[in-house]
Amino acid sequence: MRRTLALFVSSLVLWMLVTQLNDMLAGYQVYVFAGSLFVAFAALTQPHGPGLAATILGGLVCDAHAPVPFGLHALLFAAAHLALFRIRDRVPKADNVASIIVVLLTNLALFLMFSFTQISVAPMPGVTWPRLIADLVCSQALLALITPWFFALQARALKLARVSRFDP
Amino acid sequence: MPFKRFDQARPFATLTVLVIVWVLVPTAVKTFSRASFFELTAPVTVAASKLRDLREYWALRMHTNHELILAGQDAANTASSFEFAVSQNQELHAEIARLEGLLRLPSFNDYRYEHARVTRRDFSGWWQRIVIRKGANFGIPVDAPVIFTGGVVGRVAEVHATTAIVELISSPGLRLAGVIEGDTRPISFQGGVNATFAPPTGLAESVPLDVIATPALAKRLVTSGFGGVFPPGLVLGTLTSATIGSDGLFKTGEVLLDERLGSLTEVTVLVPLVTP
Repeated sequence: MRRTLALFVSSLVLWMLVTQLNDMLAGYQVYVFAGSLFVAFAALTQPHGPGLAATILGGLVCDAHAPVPFGLHALLFAAAHLALFRIRDRVPKADNVASIIVVLLTNLALFLMFSFTQISVAPMPGVTWPRLIADLVCSQALLALITPWFFALQARALKLARVSRFDP
Repeated sequence: MPFKRFDQARPFATLTVLVIVWVLVPTAVKTFSRASFFELTAPVTVAASKLRDLREYWALRMHTNHELILAGQDAANTASSFEFAVSQNQELHAEIARLEGLLRLPSFNDYRYEHARVTRRDFSGWWQRIVIRKGANFGIPVDAPVIFTGGVVGRVAEVHATTAIVELISSPGLRLAGVIEGDTRPISFQGGVNATFAPPTGLAESVPLDVIATPALAKRLVTSGFGGVFPPGLVLGTLTSATIGSDGLFKTGEVLLDERLGSLTEVTVLVPLVTP
């Protein structure tokens, strides 16, 4: 329970920072999507149950603020979590570069899947893609910068909650 | 061996269970959960907005007395011209009411103006929304029109305890009826594609064939008043192009929206007054 709460609080901090950043970038019509950060640390390093619960809670927070069916983010994040959980033994957990690559690839997959669910609303779907690709490029650049910091923040949150950092 | 096979398939089994649970959960539970998660995080949004206001306040405190005196003089000039406009407006309202009485016309909707601070902007390629710092606590209803000095901002999409979410006119999900200023034929307006580093745009459909619009000969698009949500005559944007559509019966065009939509800090919600 403490593990899930510590991870969820970290996700809330991430959500708050990303929303504030998007608020600042709104005038430039730029939007960053950091969905994979809600998933990656928990999927790569945490036990199955608490990690998945924290990921779903993070997804539900995103759902509450988006005009999408409630649970869409949570389901996509859960799917990404389960996929990462399956391959996590092959990812070097202590290597920052490997973590960043995993986060970027996961974010790419989540962004594309989410876009395909939303593109039908757009008046001209074909013309919407350049904007989405620009947003994706900005998101990936941001993720490459903040992934090590956010992983460290989650590890610190777990330490404060007095639970072990890695899945025993 | 069968146990190992199931272990490999466990993530997919878990995902299947999650999907089934999500489908089976009643809508009421989902709605309650959405509201709960929103209200859980609403104080964070409001606190960040208030901190921003405080920062602006302290930045303004840095101005010298001379600058404040000049700003006060400007404000006084603006206020005097507005006072004149307000008196004229009252006379026009009285005249409209008199004519409605004489001709027995149905009266226009009356509104209460509720000014609200913008706490958060959320401008993605999928949707364009803002969160304002007033909600059910100020009697703001769903679907209420939201305006600013440049025209229409959008309409209230969701109302929460102390905040409300406004869907902008640049959002692809928003559709409404407009007319070209001075014309009476309705045109369908929809939020459009909002390119990066460019002003927001919309899409005009069902534009009559005789309407010619180019960047040099742009036409102002205003609300039509049809549908009852938006009062007539509010500025939507400028129609900068009109090309014949695939059916050959109407034209389709691009509507350039006000650039200030991306940097709004204060908006006005038109709360309809219920007439007895």
